[in-house]
Parts: sequence; structure tokens; C-alpha cells
Amino acid sequence: MGGFLLSLFVVAFFAFMLAPIVVVVVISFTSAGYAAFPIPGWSLRWFYRIWEYPPFVDAMITSVQVAVLATVLSCVLAIPAALYLTRARSGWADGVTTFLLSPLSVPMIVIGFSSLFFLTWIGIGISFTALVITHTVACLPYVLRTVTAVHRAVPPAYEEAAAILGAGRWATFREVTLPLIRPGIAAGALFSFLTSFDNLPISFFFGSAQTNTLPVVMLSYIENQFDPSIAALSTLQLLLAVICLLAADRIYGIEKMTVAA
Amino acid sequence: MARANASRFRFNPPGWFLLLPAVLFLIAFFVLPLVDDGLRSIRADDGSLTLARYVAILSDRFYLGVIVETVALSSAVTVICVLIGYPVAYHLVRRAGCWSALIVFLLIAPLLTSIIMRTFGWQVLFARRGLINTLLVQDLGLLEQPLRILNTPGLAIAALVHVLVPFMVLSIAAVLQGIDQRLEEGAQVLGASRWRTFVEITLPLSLDGIGTGAILVFMIANGSFVTLALLGGGFQTLPLFIFQQFNTTRDFGMASTMSTVLLVIAMACLYLQLRLVRRQGI
Repeated sequence: MGGFLLSLFVVAFFAFMLAPIVVVVVISFTSAGYAAFPIPGWSLRWFYRIWEYPPFVDAMITSVQVAVLATVLSCVLAIPAALYLTRARSGWADGVTTFLLSPLSVPMIVIGFSSLFFLTWIGIGISFTALVITHTVACLPYVLRTVTAVHRAVPPAYEEAAAILGAGRWATFREVTLPLIRPGIAAGALFSFLTSFDNLPISFFFGSAQTNTLPVVMLSYIENQFDPSIAALSTLQLLLAVICLLAADRIYGIEKMTVAA
Repeated sequence: MARANASRFRFNPPGWFLLLPAVLFLIAFFVLPLVDDGLRSIRADDGSLTLARYVAILSDRFYLGVIVETVALSSAVTVICVLIGYPVAYHLVRRAGCWSALIVFLLIAPLLTSIIMRTFGWQVLFARRGLINTLLVQDLGLLEQPLRILNTPGLAIAALVHVLVPFMVLSIAAVLQGIDQRLEEGAQVLGASRWRTFVEITLPLSLDGIGTGAILVFMIANGSFVTLALLGGGFQTLPLFIFQQFNTTRDFGMASTMSTVLLVIAMACLYLQLRLVRRQGI
């Protein structure tokens, strides 16, 4: 009896979890001119509508550019740090790890608000560069986490053997360490990309005609109009995320990701 | 080969040089903005230093109310997440068996959807002529008038729980997984009922998971902005206040003060989180 009630509860739980998502996916295929569920018929008109509405397309391009650059910058900064921190098991190294992960604990709106004033003060202001910098602050911890997790599982003996055999630091990194930690880098990069692509609380502080990211444009659109194009965009975004998740699962393992997330 | 390398790299930095790029970047673009924000909160309009805004926060019922409401809302959401998340985590670890992979996928999938998407979903479901109201009024005839659900505190809380409960389930499940099942079997062999076994063995052993999940959920709830901004509910929390002061009132000093308060709350949570993790020896 208890077991049956528990199963029933879990089923209800997932109905609650999936309801708003399924509804939006279905509405994105509606033939109607308004957002309502259930839908009167199926069509792809709202996906075409996205391409015909320039602000969406521009914002999508901006979002992809920012996400790619912030991810590359996060990797360049976080990978060397991760390599050092996994091998240094001293008290202050733990402190540095905590510091490098701390952007995850600070509310994004605080990061966005304070960065706007600071970056304006040092002359970067509302710009594409500012978006990349602030997104990197938010993305760097994800790369650090996954790379650290994978590198910790690599026995130090491999790197020591390469060094004994005469490889320099760079050669050891390129020939031995890099191939071994590649899954961690890939998973971290995917997380970082998705985090940046979905970010709203930082991006809206840096919004302008040239720097509006997709979530910012979607937010301002949803405040004025309530049509299914937002659903179509959300479905595309979900599709992108699912592809990334499946890719990360193939190269990294989904269980490790839940620990890392 | 080795010799060639050695001669090429005459400058041989110590290992901690690898930390410098990341550390310097975060000091420049993460720490300095936050410090600058803190300074703005104690700088008066004429440039002198003042604690007037903090005095105002502690003496003005409106400002104090914003802080209390933020913490109260996050606490309520955290408690609901524990109550809902625990049974799901228990089911996932102890009962699900071959279904567990699917459950983990279903837990992670919502994490990948944007907040805007979920909010849009809630708005469609609970609109005046939305699915739920149509069901209740027309199809089932349970109600005369459609319910007003949008912009109520209940829906805002439900939407926050929807965003945060997966973190709770995963935190609790991680700890439940590590509990030696022989302890539970032992209790049952010695005559304890299932319920008593759960209350006296499983629950106490999983408190660390509840703690980790609770701090995580509380921390994210404090900073959550988009859900409340779009679904309303009449809540006035720190992130909404910061946004209003920035966007409408344009009182940047007060916005900085409130964002510093939010930062201090977040840092307190981080401290608790670290202590809990250390104690677990992870």
C-alpha cells in the first residue's frame, strides 16, 4: 500500500515537472494565431515566423557568439588552473578552488548589476566585450569543476612517466594530459555554452540594439505579445540543450554530470 | 629532444603560475565589481562616506520587509522542496530499479529548459481561459467562475519549486545511495516496522543530504529573479527590488545597498555549505 502511494506520488511529481514543458512544445506546433492549449491543428508557421522576425535572428546570432567566446575564454582560464589544483593538495589550494567556484554562489543579478557600473567605469560599458567578460565569470566555474573531476581520476604516474622520459611540460600536457582530460573539457564547455546561452539576469543589464541576447529579446517580447513564436523559440532551445546533454552523456557519463552540476 | 626543449624554455615558472590567469581574471571582473558595489552603498551623493542607507534598511519597515520577505519566501520554497523531493529521491534510490535512468533524465531535462519557457507554460496552463480553468468550468462543471491563478502567490511559489526541486532530489539521492542497506534490513529483522525503520534509521542518516540540498535551494531561491518578475504573485524580494531601483527609481545607491545585503546572505550560505561538505569529508 505504502509502495503504491509512493509510486503514485512520483507519477504526480513528474506530471507537475513535465506539464509546463510539454504544453510549450505542443503550442510551438500550433496552427492557431494565439497561444492556447489544446491546439486546433498542427503547423510549422511559428518556426517560420522566427526567421521572419529580425530581432530574434539577430539576438540568436549574438547569443551564439557570446556563448562560444565565453566558453573558449573559460576553457583557456580554467583548464590550467584545474591542472594545478588537482595535483596541489594543500590547504590554500582548497581555498583557491573555493574562490574560483564562488561565482556559482553569488546571485546572477548581483554580478550583472555590479559589473555594469564597474565595466562602465573602466570604459568597457555596454558592449559585446562586456557580455563576453561577464558571461565568462559565470561559466568559468563549470569548466573548472568538470576538468578537475576528470583530471583527479588520471593517475599522476602517467604525467610523471612522460616527464621522466624527457618530455617538457608543454609536451606532457599536449601528448598525455590533454587527451585524458578531453571528456572533462567537452562536458564543461557544453555546460558553459548552455549556461551562457540561457543567461538572462546578467545579459539584460547589458542590453542594447547591438548586444541583446536571445533571452533578453524573448523577455521583452513576452511582456508585450503572447503568441506562439516564444514557444517555437523555446522548443528550438530545448532541442539544442537535449542534443548537448546527449553529447555530454556519450563523452562523459550522465551520473558524473549530476554530481558536477 | 629533451635538451632542445630545455633550451627553448629558459624561463621556467613555478606551477602556481597556472593559477594566475583564472585568479587575476576573477579578481578583476568578479571581486572588484562587487567591492565597487559595496563602496557605492556607503558613499553619499556628495562623496563622503555614510552608513545612512544601512540605517534606513534596518529602521524602515518597507526595506526591512523586502529582506524578510526574500528570506521567508526562500525558506518556504526550501521546505516544500524537501517535502516533495524526499519521497522522489527515496523512490529513485530504493524502488525505481530499471526506471532510475529514466527518472534521472526526467529530473535533468527541466534543468535544460529556459526559465522563460517554463513561465510561458504556466501562463498558458493557468490563464483565465487556459486548460485548467476550461476543465474545471466547462468540462467538469465544478466551478461557476474561472479561478484567478495567474499572479497569485501560490503559482509563483509552485513555479519556484518547479525550478529548484530537482537540485533537492539529486542532493538527497546522492546521500541515500551511500546508506548501507544492511542497517535498514537489520532494524526490520529486529522487528521494527517499515515506518519505524525509516524514521529511526534512514531519515537520520540522510539528514546531510537534506542539509546540502536545502542550502543549495535556499541560495538559488534568494537570487531568483525571472520567475518572480514574470509570474508576479505580489512578492517584493531583493532581486526584484534591485531591478526596480535600477530600472525605474534609478536610486543606484539603494540598489547597491540591497545587492550587497543579498551578497552577504549568499556568502553566509556558501560558508554553511562549505562547513557541511567538510564535515561529510567529500
